[in-house]
Amino acid sequence: MVTATSTSPARRNHASRSPWFHVVMVPFTILWLAPILFVVLVALRNFDDIAARGLGALPASLSLDGFAGALADGRVGRALVNSAIVTVFTVVASLALASAAAYALSRFHVPLRRTILLVMLAGNLLPPQILLIPVSRITQDLGIYDTLTALVIVQVGFGLGFYTFVLHGFMRSLPGEIFEAALLDGSGPARTFWSIVLPLCRPALAALTALATTWIFNDLIWAMTVLRTEAQFPVTAALLNLQGGFSNSWNVIAAGSLVAAVPTAIVFFVFQKQFVSGLLVGSNK
Amino acid sequence: MSTPPFSRRSFLLGAASLTTVPLLASCVGTGADGGAGGGTTALTLQSWIQDAGPKAALESVVAAFDGPPVTLNSVATEQFRAQLSTYLTSATPPDVLGWYAGSVANSYADEGLLLDVSDLWAPGGACANFSDALRALSTGADGKAIFVPQNYYWWSIFYKKSAFQQWGVQPPKTWDEFIALCDTLKARGIHPLTNGIGSTAWMSAGWFDYLNLRINGAGYHRELLAGKHSFEDPQVTAVLEQYARLVPYFHPNQTSWDAQQAVTPMVNNEAAMYLVGAFCTEYFPADQRDDLDFFSVPTIDPSVPSAEEAPTDGFFAAAGSQNPEGAKQLLSYLASAPAQQSFIEKSGSSNLPTSPDVDTSTFSPLVQKGITLLNETAEITQFFNRDSSDALQTTADAALTQFIANPSDIRGTQRQWQQAAQQVFSS
Repeated sequence: MVTATSTSPARRNHASRSPWFHVVMVPFTILWLAPILFVVLVALRNFDDIAARGLGALPASLSLDGFAGALADGRVGRALVNSAIVTVFTVVASLALASAAAYALSRFHVPLRRTILLVMLAGNLLPPQILLIPVSRITQDLGIYDTLTALVIVQVGFGLGFYTFVLHGFMRSLPGEIFEAALLDGSGPARTFWSIVLPLCRPALAALTALATTWIFNDLIWAMTVLRTEAQFPVTAALLNLQGGFSNSWNVIAAGSLVAAVPTAIVFFVFQKQFVSGLLVGSNK
Repeated sequence: MSTPPFSRRSFLLGAASLTTVPLLASCVGTGADGGAGGGTTALTLQSWIQDAGPKAALESVVAAFDGPPVTLNSVATEQFRAQLSTYLTSATPPDVLGWYAGSVANSYADEGLLLDVSDLWAPGGACANFSDALRALSTGADGKAIFVPQNYYWWSIFYKKSAFQQWGVQPPKTWDEFIALCDTLKARGIHPLTNGIGSTAWMSAGWFDYLNLRINGAGYHRELLAGKHSFEDPQVTAVLEQYARLVPYFHPNQTSWDAQQAVTPMVNNEAAMYLVGAFCTEYFPADQRDDLDFFSVPTIDPSVPSAEEAPTDGFFAAAGSQNPEGAKQLLSYLASAPAQQSFIEKSGSSNLPTSPDVDTSTFSPLVQKGITLLNETAEITQFFNRDSSDALQTTADAALTQFIANPSDIRGTQRQWQQAAQQVFSS
């Protein structure tokens, strides 16, 4: 055991110093960055340059017209605010509900708990496309169609199954002794949940927050299903709106996309570690 | 042990939570706005117009409306197309919606989803003086008017005056001259025609429509698109034979371009002519727009009456509108000559007014020429999808894209097209 742990970091160090790592990874990095670079270049050109020389040409002009156009009437700004509202409320609500549900399902003898969990998960396997029209009709009948509330409710509903499933797996892996000790110290279920389970679940919650934030922020399909008023559109729908029916100002679209990508990029840098661990949540049970 | 990394993170989270405070405040704000907009008098105008100029023009025209407050929602065009039936069938539909005249509006009217606006077309109404062609176009199968046309535009072969001058060529008058011109240009290394049929495959139907109009006439064209003739007819064979003659003249990159990218070779004088709608003026750099001119697709059979494509855009009102009187008031305003004039002047695109009372003398020479073209033609059609349906347009896209890739197999193209069209008509 001792030898194994002492050699493996050394081997890793050696591997990262090998020139082959860079020889292979540098072209890959360039390949991955190429589309972003392309969008940046398009965003910095003016319309006449794009019309005259095509989308793929190198910039002959350098202008901020695209950014000015995208931010001009405040539509993208307002849409970012809408996106932020929906994302914050959805992430908080769905993780609060999912952690409570996972706690109950993993630690208490809820009747049919396995079935409940499977049903929740099965809902996630359903492609959202077949539910678009029912969801649209239901929100209309409930009188919440065309409000951000409807979007938050729909997003919470569709996210809940997956979050509960992940948190359930995580909470089940918490050692039973902790709960027994808490019980002996006179801690009730609510106190145990708040003071012990939630702090211990912090890695899983952080990972899910990071994933959920990007998913919800980048969602377009539900926004288009339950919203009709332009002033309520989140940023994804606002970006779609930058496209014309017959003609596109590509520089404006590219600039708008870059502006819209900033919040997700910030979330990624803040939660960088959790993103990676989030991909592994539940994989090492 | 995990404290040091968490302090940086908690700083960032703290910063993030600070920024959410105004967000929450604005949430309350938007909620209140939504509540106020739900009153019975306020109107909603759902628009598909997304091109920058026309969109801004519509906004300023709507802002000047002297009636109930109007919320204008502009939705991306393809999204609007997909959601239109959801809008119209919803319990609280938008009051007024922008869309195409013709078969699409009529099919919604058949389902009883559109408000009867016949009083706007009655003497004294806002549309009373519109042309008979527009009146016919705006009337549903049961004789009720359901549409208010606001503007239209023409299709033609666009070219640059300076380029033709530089090459020493003239716009052709006859079909033979047109083919000869294409040969001349091709011999000089210039692509005679450009088109963008990549992501906008429907552009390939422009040439089909015009060749059909020139060879078989508008009557046959309308009946073919209504399913009264077969795409395997010898008349369609004749159209595709002419189309096959044109295929070598197109820029070979047309299959990878969209309608907008197709103008790039024209801007650089590498391609000469483009059969396209007048919306193409927006594709060109600002300093080349005055250089544009057009000529109608030349006559092929002199015994066939002239016809032009002029897609008409406008508005209809939902039958379920909470405020039908207000909706009609808004429609009347949008159809009025001052509103049309303001829309066209501000939009900067080359649209024509539907109202005969608009003073067109201030419009650009190109638009004046477009008005003359449409006034002098015997027949007016819309465009393939507007004369038929979006479903039939899909069959045309598939058939024509395949045909352009392999123009020799005309019979095979026709057979497959008819099979696909048959499914559309029988469904």
